[in-house]
Amino acid sequence: MAITEEPPLILELESGETKPSTGAFARPTYAKGWRAWVFTVDHKKIGIMYGAVAMFWFLWGGIEALLIRTQLLTPNGTVLTAEQYNQIFTMHGTTMVFLVIMPLAAAFANYIVPLQIGARDVAFPRMNALGLWIFVFGGIFLNLSWFLGGGPDGGWFAYAPNTSVTFSPGAGMDFYAMGLQIAGIASLVGAINLIVTIINMRAPGMTLLRMPVFTWMILVVQFLLLFALPVITVALVLLSLDRTFDANFFNVGMGADPLLWQHLFWIFGHPEVYILILPSFGIVSETLPVFSRKPLFGYSVIVISGAAIGFMGWGVWAHHMFVSGLGPVSVAAFSATTMFIAVPTGVKILNWIATMWGGKITFTVPMMFSISLVSMFTIGGLSGVMHSVAPADTQQTDTYFIVAHFHYVLFGGALMGLFAGMYYWWPKAFGYKLNETLGKWHFWIVLVGFNLTFGPMHILGLQGMARRHSRYGPEDGFDFWNLMVSIGAFVILIGMIIFAINIVKTWLGYKAGTIEQSPADPWDGRTLEWSIPSPTPEHNFDYVPVVTDLDDFWHKKYQKDENGKLRKVADGNAIAQLGDQHPHLPSPSYWPIVLASGLPLIALGLIYTLWLTGIGLLVLVAAIYGWSLEPHTDPDVGHGHGDDHDDHDEPDGDHSENLIDSPKDESTEEAPVG
Amino acid sequence: MSGWHKRVESAKLLKKRKFANEVHDTDMVQNRFFYNRNLRFTFLGTLLLFISSCASGRLDPLKPVGQNAKDIDGIMRLSAWMAIAVGLFVGAAVIAVIIKFRVRPGDDPDELPEQIHGNKKAELTWTLIPVVMLLFLAVATIPSVFDLHDKGDGPTIQVTGQQWWWQFSYDLDEDGQSDIITSNEIVIPVGQEVNLEITSNDVIHSFWIPQLNGKKDAVPGRVHHWRISSPVPGIFYGECTEFCGLSHANMQVRAVALEAADYKIWQESQLAKSSIPTGEAAKRGYDLFGVHCISCHVINGVYEGAADGNANLASGVAPNLTHLMSRTSFAGSLFELYNEDQSVNIADLREWVRNAPGQKPSRPENRQGMMSFAEILNGPELDDIVSYLQTLGGKPPLMPS
Repeated sequence: MAITEEPPLILELESGETKPSTGAFARPTYAKGWRAWVFTVDHKKIGIMYGAVAMFWFLWGGIEALLIRTQLLTPNGTVLTAEQYNQIFTMHGTTMVFLVIMPLAAAFANYIVPLQIGARDVAFPRMNALGLWIFVFGGIFLNLSWFLGGGPDGGWFAYAPNTSVTFSPGAGMDFYAMGLQIAGIASLVGAINLIVTIINMRAPGMTLLRMPVFTWMILVVQFLLLFALPVITVALVLLSLDRTFDANFFNVGMGADPLLWQHLFWIFGHPEVYILILPSFGIVSETLPVFSRKPLFGYSVIVISGAAIGFMGWGVWAHHMFVSGLGPVSVAAFSATTMFIAVPTGVKILNWIATMWGGKITFTVPMMFSISLVSMFTIGGLSGVMHSVAPADTQQTDTYFIVAHFHYVLFGGALMGLFAGMYYWWPKAFGYKLNETLGKWHFWIVLVGFNLTFGPMHILGLQGMARRHSRYGPEDGFDFWNLMVSIGAFVILIGMIIFAINIVKTWLGYKAGTIEQSPADPWDGRTLEWSIPSPTPEHNFDYVPVVTDLDDFWHKKYQKDENGKLRKVADGNAIAQLGDQHPHLPSPSYWPIVLASGLPLIALGLIYTLWLTGIGLLVLVAAIYGWSLEPHTDPDVGHGHGDDHDDHDEPDGDHSENLIDSPKDESTEEAPVG
Repeated sequence: MSGWHKRVESAKLLKKRKFANEVHDTDMVQNRFFYNRNLRFTFLGTLLLFISSCASGRLDPLKPVGQNAKDIDGIMRLSAWMAIAVGLFVGAAVIAVIIKFRVRPGDDPDELPEQIHGNKKAELTWTLIPVVMLLFLAVATIPSVFDLHDKGDGPTIQVTGQQWWWQFSYDLDEDGQSDIITSNEIVIPVGQEVNLEITSNDVIHSFWIPQLNGKKDAVPGRVHHWRISSPVPGIFYGECTEFCGLSHANMQVRAVALEAADYKIWQESQLAKSSIPTGEAAKRGYDLFGVHCISCHVINGVYEGAADGNANLASGVAPNLTHLMSRTSFAGSLFELYNEDQSVNIADLREWVRNAPGQKPSRPENRQGMMSFAEILNGPELDDIVSYLQTLGGKPPLMPS
């Protein structure tokens, strides 16, 4: 039984007629236009918006990267001042981690997870919208700093006491501290929502070990978020108190130990690495079997190793601090734990290769990105093992060797996987495939550019080039490889431009009717999202499927004949649901975006003038009040999502049940709910 | 930004000079010996040497000189060798899969490949093999972690990082008072494991001279122990590697390793106090220094007001200039103090005194870094101050060759 928002109070009128209570405001009913997006609580629209906003920040973070590379193109670069350079590398990291990869993963989690578990929405649709809008406002707030005196300049890791007012007198670090607190609330809200959704709203028969690996990895990631975000939040609150109210948490003069920040930051920061990479591990665990036409090799091992990474990820944080001045016992212990976290990761890699082994591989664009994850991430993982050797790390840390390492992990791993996911699920989300030819150009140019950018960084690091230096001298001998790296960065840009062209071109083609509509099951998929039409209908499932197997949809298409040989018994597109039912769905709501808009006001007020904080708090309280009094659905509209069909009759007496804000409850007639 | 352009020019000059060639030559002899001893790593050594020989800089962690750096290099090559072996295996497997198991044009689309759901034996094997490899690596790593933390037999030197330069203090008689305070260049005796006590006066920095040892953070309020040593005399270069604010990129450091006798001579010369100069220009410079510079800088014996962290700076300390001329560089080792012909680099020194923030990014209005005197001192006054500075201390014991 799904956990749902409270059913509405039914008022008995004197006439004997029943009428649900209405809140302070009626719920919005926009079916089309921008307001249909802004007030939506539909997990699919929210997922798409997460993706679109993340891609906007990806563009911005990419521009920041190119500025860095232009500055370092030659020795003693003069494109940026040291001050600008420090702000830009700080925001490049912060943007890519918090505003690109995390929300891209959230985009897939929001869009795909309910479809993979056979649900009509997430457990708390309005909270889902709240998470999106807090993230949007958090990102805007963080980048407002550019227009208000300069960006944060303490690095994304923001080591104390360099972030104190004494050493970073501008407002940049305030924007960093408050902006990340706001973005953190978004992730926390999303994490709780998805955990409840995955645990409670799976289709009947979908036991945990019949759950698709992508959903599994998202579940692990949400638990990591749930426990990691409070840690960074504590650190950021302490930093904000130091900066805004002259507290002394990181003031060495008052007896503080700056290593406190490092411990807090990395206790969050290391699980964060797995928060960034596991969604992509989930994505390729979906695509590799589909395009190899074989089941995932060792499903349970992959799931268990993913969960194991989730646990072990908490015991390795101090490997970021091997030269920070921990004693030899700590260094040795964290050195060992770091080595052994390579085991579950390595097992995954080999299982993926075994999945492809013996298969019939079609090299679609999503498959190519997936294979590049397997190989590029391996390089990043192996250089990670080199860092786990603490004495070697004393030479490698804070050099470009580390920069190379984590870009192989986060670009070669996380981002390649997310691109695989985009090409793979694009037809499900938008109803048409991205162009495969342009996609292949995109893939190959990015792959070459990526290796040209980050491969030579290994060499630069071994030559002793330190990170976060706004310049290097000609006497250092770094010229040649820096030139290559900068060229590579612009090659990546070309690849990304091709991706943008692909999106626009296919969209225009689809609008013009020259690109065909994707069928429900364009890739011969294995999981439930392929059993419903493309693009996904508003209500996802006409009826909630009953699951009997892992890869249930595939088993509906392929069964053993009398000789025990697997045969195709049905075409996926033929047996897919039609998407022609019109169950009730939760209504849109004004309040999530209103509530979210209070947070940046509060934060701005804390930096500049407290009366703004007062206004923000008023907005926040008013929104919570309005939210709590909101009717669960507007009875006069009937269909919250505004699908304006009149053919769907509803017996009047049935209304109260349909008002419940849970999609699952409306499906009770069609399928039992487990 | 004229200062920066000049910096480019001066750096180009330095490149021509081919820094520390001498060191590298002796170092190559050392290295050859080292590789022979570790024949197992020859292949990798060749590979890494090829990579590193593409362009040889002056930091060169891959050409270790000090014993600690060599020990680290050995274990790093071991881990690199293992990583490359595994990487080649995985790469070969991926390529094999791509070639061998692709769909062929004639394949029946309804014909499924064999549906294998897993193989417990195989999975157990490729879980255990990495475990064994990593156990081997851990066994090799852990003792060396403890070795690096041991104390050495040599003298102890206090290393203090601040925005954006390093200070080195020597307490020769162990009375708790520093007897020698110098900056930018740490002078050490050859053949001894010198103990460093690393700390910071403001934010976190990291002390790193790659050819001598790995890095160690300088954290305010904490003293971190670390060692360096060199078996041969020479100048070794280093960088600050923990992001420390605006001029993090311009906080360099040098280690000068001297033979025991030279080290002794250097120590004695550093103990000498300064006195009022006799030359006319230098005397005028001395007076100007007393007006404009002593709120931050100390010159032992004449201007000591800014000692003990009293400098008017966020970090409380500016370089002690008593023996300025005995160093080879200034301003966080960003500029050479001597030209190629061993004459004093008056042009850069004068420009630095005139307008330091134009030469090196800093934030003097926030008491981070030296202020500009461009509006305060006129040309002749600058010349006088530079004349005075040239009287401070003797020649460096070793020049970059």
